[in-house]
Amino acid sequence: MAAQEWRLLLTGDMSAFDNMALDEAILRCVVAGTSPSTLRFYGWKPSAVSIGYFQGIEQEVDLDMCRQKGVDVIRRLTGGGAVFHEHGSEITYSLAVKDDYPGIPKKVLDSYALLCGGLVAGFRRLGLDAEFKPINDILVNGKKISGNAQTRRFGGILQHGTLLCEVNPPLMFSLLKVPNEKIRDKLIAGVEERVTSIRREMGTVEHDAVIAAMCAGFAEVLDIHLSPGTVSDEELALLERVKEERYANPSWNFKR
Amino acid sequence: MPTQAGTSNADVRCGDYKAIGGKLLRVRMSVTEDNPPVIQTLRITGDFFMHPEEAIEDLEQLLTGAPLEETVLRECVQTFFAGDVQVVGADVDDFVTALLKAG
Repeated sequence: MAAQEWRLLLTGDMSAFDNMALDEAILRCVVAGTSPSTLRFYGWKPSAVSIGYFQGIEQEVDLDMCRQKGVDVIRRLTGGGAVFHEHGSEITYSLAVKDDYPGIPKKVLDSYALLCGGLVAGFRRLGLDAEFKPINDILVNGKKISGNAQTRRFGGILQHGTLLCEVNPPLMFSLLKVPNEKIRDKLIAGVEERVTSIRREMGTVEHDAVIAAMCAGFAEVLDIHLSPGTVSDEELALLERVKEERYANPSWNFKR
Repeated sequence: MPTQAGTSNADVRCGDYKAIGGKLLRVRMSVTEDNPPVIQTLRITGDFFMHPEEAIEDLEQLLTGAPLEETVLRECVQTFFAGDVQVVGADVDDFVTALLKAG
């Protein structure tokens, strides 16, 4: 069978609100058939904290500290935990397909294994000993280097996740709530121990080189051909609409 | 901003439980002074996954009005899990344990 044609989008740094709204807009257009299956890479400017769909924003995030530091806060469409997306320190990807896309397991847990497999193959191309760790993590040398989250809605599957280029646990924990102050240092030490980054594992690598490796990894695992494309006018219009309805709207961000 | 407190004389209870699957379930509820207490308002938050996501509100609704008794809570959670929903990172036992821990 010939490889499936996918669109590759490199949208660079955008705000949290534009980033999350664009992921949803792409998903909706992929499902509608007006956009092809899409793999997108992006960054965050300004830095932002995203929380999972089910998390309580005030339970998880120190909102005053985020405001002081100019860090945006946003609720994702996907479940999972709070993530600090530091400008320049992370490459984020998203992948959108119809939910009947051939070969993608109906069971969410199984589909993480398949889709994260593209990233594992990408990390290996960079020379890193990567492995998928259920439920939704990728480890290098036993430490987390990527977290992933998925939603299935509107008739499609959206998976997005982080590729850590650098980590800054003290800054991260200054933005997140901790159960009590006494254990803040312990939590920071725990993350230092359990989480790694591309920089720690192999020194400074250009983001473009990481993205190229991940594209090759996905192409190999999913048997797809990626063609660089652009965001459509329909997607841009939808971005504005869902940003207003959801991601830039306090009623969405504070719903839990 | 929504608050999770119920009526003024309601007893608000909270509890966190880390599921075997690795995800955290955080429960906040207000309960009546009956014996056993009855759940008046309920909010389940955490870093688990549920598909479709909006189903969490159905689970919360299903449990609202239920007495804080293991058998009843388990039946509610089981009924919910048997429906058209995929929960990832926590199972029936985890939800029941989290509810009892908060209660």
